[in-house]
Amino acid sequence: MADLTVSGLTVEYSSGGYAARPVDNFDLAVPSGQLVLLRGASGCGKTTVLSVLASILTPAGGTVRFGDVEVTSLKGQAKTDYRRHTVGVVFQAFNLVPSLSASENVQAPLRAAGVRGNTARRRAEELLEDVGLADRMVHRPGDLSGGQQQRVAIARALAHDPPLILADEPTAHLDYIQVEGVLRLLRSLARPGRIVVVATHDERLSPLADRVVAMTPTAGGGERPPETVTFQPGQVVFEQGDEGDLVYVVDDGEVEIVRQLAGGGEETLSRMAPGTYFGELAPLFGLRRSATARATKPTTLTAYTIRTFRERNKDVWG
Amino acid sequence: MWLVSLRDLQWRRRRFLIAVVATALVFAMSLLMAGADAGLTSETRRIVDVVGADRWLVAKGTSGPFTTVTAIPAETSSQVAALPGVRRADPLVIFHSTLRRTSGLKDVNVIGYQPGGLGAPPIASGRRPLADGEVVADILLGLKLGQTIDVGGHAARVVGTADGVTYYFGGPTLFMPITDAQNLAFRGLPLAMTIVTKGVPQTVPPSLQAMTLAQVRTDLDRPSKNGKATIQFLNILLWLVAAGIIASIVYLSILERQRDFAVFKATGASSAALYGGLALQAVLLSVTAALVAAGLAHLLQPGFPFALELTAVAVLRLLVVALAVGLLASLVGLRRAVAVDPALAFGGG
Repeated sequence: MADLTVSGLTVEYSSGGYAARPVDNFDLAVPSGQLVLLRGASGCGKTTVLSVLASILTPAGGTVRFGDVEVTSLKGQAKTDYRRHTVGVVFQAFNLVPSLSASENVQAPLRAAGVRGNTARRRAEELLEDVGLADRMVHRPGDLSGGQQQRVAIARALAHDPPLILADEPTAHLDYIQVEGVLRLLRSLARPGRIVVVATHDERLSPLADRVVAMTPTAGGGERPPETVTFQPGQVVFEQGDEGDLVYVVDDGEVEIVRQLAGGGEETLSRMAPGTYFGELAPLFGLRRSATARATKPTTLTAYTIRTFRERNKDVWG
Repeated sequence: MWLVSLRDLQWRRRRFLIAVVATALVFAMSLLMAGADAGLTSETRRIVDVVGADRWLVAKGTSGPFTTVTAIPAETSSQVAALPGVRRADPLVIFHSTLRRTSGLKDVNVIGYQPGGLGAPPIASGRRPLADGEVVADILLGLKLGQTIDVGGHAARVVGTADGVTYYFGGPTLFMPITDAQNLAFRGLPLAMTIVTKGVPQTVPPSLQAMTLAQVRTDLDRPSKNGKATIQFLNILLWLVAAGIIASIVYLSILERQRDFAVFKATGASSAALYGGLALQAVLLSVTAALVAAGLAHLLQPGFPFALELTAVAVLRLLVVALAVGLLASLVGLRRAVAVDPALAFGGG
């Protein structure tokens, strides 16, 4: 039975010419039979992690191992075979082919793998019965409800009976009635010999999971009093991609805000003089730092938690 | 992937139908042009065969019986008939004239021949001319038996019709006794353009040269050579237009199905399978259009002023061209389809 191990996973890409790092040094270990939730707000890297697990995205660093397979080093036909037989993906927007019936949508990955027509049809019927859509096999996606479409998508992901199921926001387009059936189905998929990884921001899914991984940075030390910190020229206050929990006010000296460029190097965005503040967006919205802050001369800063900072700046942040 | 491709065609059937009709029109034009080309080649062969000669003797140094303006004495035929290897020799007068009708002048080819000799027309109705003032006309002229016509200012009576005796882009031919033709062309002088023989003369009088049937056909084809080359060139352009129509439809389809392709790739479909599906769509579109074009060309054929030859070979060739055009057109979208990032499948849609 294959276990999933993710070590030091780092994904970097170019965003508007800047280097973005949605996943930085991410670790995860999941034993077979578990359902794991990757939970967090939009942009925190959940889908990116799924893309790497599905061997669709090549990370900048780190490794993903599923059983004996090192997913991050797969190439060519080995990659195609892995996508075909080892992993099944349930996409957020269902992504069913509108011209195909429910049965044909489930057959598609089987036929692409060279499975004969009759065999593929029987398998599709079997899977659609399993997900409770025996009476909807010839219906096209446009004739199905959101929940039914998602169940077809789950059946499609199961076509090759893969040991790893990835689901990206599986409840995002469903109302509360439809959600129930999909949740039950997802839970039933996690059994010995199979791992289910679900990326979601939907907290209703948490009770289903064997384990919940919070992808959104959390406020580091909770509430604490403002703290004065000093930096020497060239010393870094925080790095781009770091989780952020503090806002800084410049008391003395100067801090430059720089952003790493996709091709290497960096661009100076601004220079913060005494009386100005920076770094408020990451703790406020649960994002990673979008730039690096570095002292250019001997500098004194006061670090605030977001709550303290808001209380002290009610005129702007009230 | 063929199932996906077929279903997609069904799904977008209106667009498929429009593309088939547009491509079929282009293919039908191509087929009609090929028919015109074949018709021109065929009428040349037919008119030369109608004369039924083995050799055509013309004045030395001239280009051929249909294009020369150099006449030879008609009585040379007696001398030629006596040559070893010749079983029969007859003079022919070949020229271009006009037929005066109430609607205006109509260009006609005229062949004057010795009644009972070589060069007699094949009769579709009526009979062959027996006396001066009688003609046999190609049925394209629409003349009735017994009708009196004005050829180059001389009156003649239609006593018979012939089918498929045209040359120079379907120009209809009048057959008349050689004396009438000499009156029209040479003011009654006993001259001829050529002496045609049954049997192959072993020697030729010094003032003449013998031409084989192939040489005569080449001579007759020469004036239409540029026209035929133009037809063939336009044909290739039409194939490219058809390829353009199909390519644009396939490309549009790829643009609309980016996410489908991303999902297929994310679920392990190979690039070859994706291309196979696209090629199948393009070939189906192209071949269906070719079949529709074949029917369309048959419907349009009678509207042409000269006989087109729509042969099974031409239709088969069009099908092969359609296959090639379809494959070529699908290549246009290949790079786009293969380059689709499977990561596109993720995201909120």
